Amino acid sequence: MSDVSTGVAAKAATLVSFKNTSVTYPNGFTALTDVNLEFHEGEFIVVVGLSGAGKSTLIRTINRLVPPTGGDVNVLGTPIRNISDANLRKTRRRIGMIFQNYNLVRRSSVLANVLTGRLGDLPTWRALLGLYTKSDTDLAIKCLTRVGILDKAYNRADQLSGGQQQRVAIARALAQQPRILLADEPVASLDPPTAHQVMRDLKALSREEGLLTIVNLHFVDMAMEYADRVIGLHAGTVVYDGPGADMTEADFERIYQRKIRPDDMRGAAEH
Amino acid sequence: MTQKLRSTLILLVVTPVLLWSMAGMDVTPARIAAGFPRAATMLTDMFAHPDWEYWPIVQQRLIESLQIAALGTFLAGILAIPFGVLAARNLVRSPVPSTIGKVLLNAIRTFPEILLAYAFIKGLGLGAFAGVMAVAIHSIGMLGKLYAERIENVDKGAIEALTTTGASPVAIFRHCILPEVLPDFVSFVLYRFDLNVRSASVIGIVGAGGIGFILGLQYQAANYPRLGLIVIATIATVVVVDSISAKIRQRLA
Ligand SMILES: Nc1ncnc2c1ncn2[C@@H]1O[C@H](COP(=O)(O)OP(=O)(O)O)[C@@H](O)[C@H]1O
Ligand SMILES: [Mg+2]
Repeated sequence: MSDVSTGVAAKAATLVSFKNTSVTYPNGFTALTDVNLEFHEGEFIVVVGLSGAGKSTLIRTINRLVPPTGGDVNVLGTPIRNISDANLRKTRRRIGMIFQNYNLVRRSSVLANVLTGRLGDLPTWRALLGLYTKSDTDLAIKCLTRVGILDKAYNRADQLSGGQQQRVAIARALAQQPRILLADEPVASLDPPTAHQVMRDLKALSREEGLLTIVNLHFVDMAMEYADRVIGLHAGTVVYDGPGADMTEADFERIYQRKIRPDDMRGAAEH
Repeated sequence: MTQKLRSTLILLVVTPVLLWSMAGMDVTPARIAAGFPRAATMLTDMFAHPDWEYWPIVQQRLIESLQIAALGTFLAGILAIPFGVLAARNLVRSPVPSTIGKVLLNAIRTFPEILLAYAFIKGLGLGAFAGVMAVAIHSIGMLGKLYAERIENVDKGAIEALTTTGASPVAIFRHCILPEVLPDFVSFVLYRFDLNVRSASVIGIVGAGGIGFILGLQYQAANYPRLGLIVIATIATVVVVDSISAKIRQRLA
């Protein structure tokens, strides 16, 4: 299993590199301190850590929802700390993002939601008139098929179950034709079987499309089950970086500042 | 403070104010007593024998009032969108445009409709068009404020999600904010239409077209049977419009 991923990762392009990156929020709180990391094409990375460790901040720095205040982050060849608005939008087009609460346009149809993934690449006048091209619609339908909910294309987004809504969100991200996929606690609102299904979907997509995928997870066992590479954060610093399987008792304690407990586990997949 | 003390204090304040107001209007028991029979005769003339011969003209003018209300509300419904966008706090980082927008909308809202009607009659001449403009301008105040508040309540998560796709602010407005707020905007417009049917009737009195115009005429002429028909028909129209619009708004919710 790991021979495929590590084999790819070894000679794969670097898509994201944190260089002495720090983030201090406007209120003066420093959420990331001197982070140095490189993420590559095709890698499936899981970030773990206690609540407040800086997982969301790390992931949100990549698409500059949170601007770095020290060092820089190079994303798809562009340093983003002082990037212009126009270039930021251009870079964001190739970065899909999935959220804990799905963040769909609730009153719009599933298809309309997936199509919004195309807006970045659409000329403004077309976006304004809602004139997607034939290839946009074809792509949206392909993405819906891919996540297995094409039959819901004309339902209102808010009529779907949580798991289905998260799949719509994944399809929306895929419609961007991204090279990077960010997922901030994507399964935290789902029951365990659905959570594992979504994780398997994300993993399969990452493999098949060669996507760099970075997922924040609260649960250690899930991280170890799916990750090619685990990043452990504690209080804004990276305290572990390596394959999940290599993680020792001491590594756990460095991340969690205590012995591992049952509630750090979500429960294994019901394969 | 005890309940009793508070009631006494209120009474001490309210009584002089009331007495002062009545003195200003020269209200005396004798005048009130004399007024009752006159009012009674007028009401009997109006409602016991309304002049049904006059119906065709009433009907025509009622329809004109409805048209003034509909066109004025429609114009306001469209024109209020830029004001609502300007006044919403969550679309741009700077608080300046939103503050300007809110001040503008409040100014529009506090400007009485009847004064607008007079102004437009001066500019456009007597008739329905002045009515349409008065209704439209006045309604922008309320609709713009409701629009802005609705936009401020749009789901932040969805806006953030589309921001991360690299969509432009214009595209986000069109595909994220508009779909969420539009049904509510329609509902606000329908509600405003209810109110405007009333105001379109009233501003006619000063010459801005519609049923109010003949209401003014018949009042001057002291033709109470005709006045009676006008009032009955207007109230009936308002009630019917209210209930239809309430039903539609329920559906939209
Ligand atoms: N916008 C913000 N302003 C100030 N502090 C913040 C902000 N967002 C997060 N923080 C703080 O930064 C720290 C890391 O937060 P976060 O990245 O959300 O952690 P995690 O996702 O691991 O729970 C927390 O202590 C949090 O309170
Ligand atoms: Mg978080």
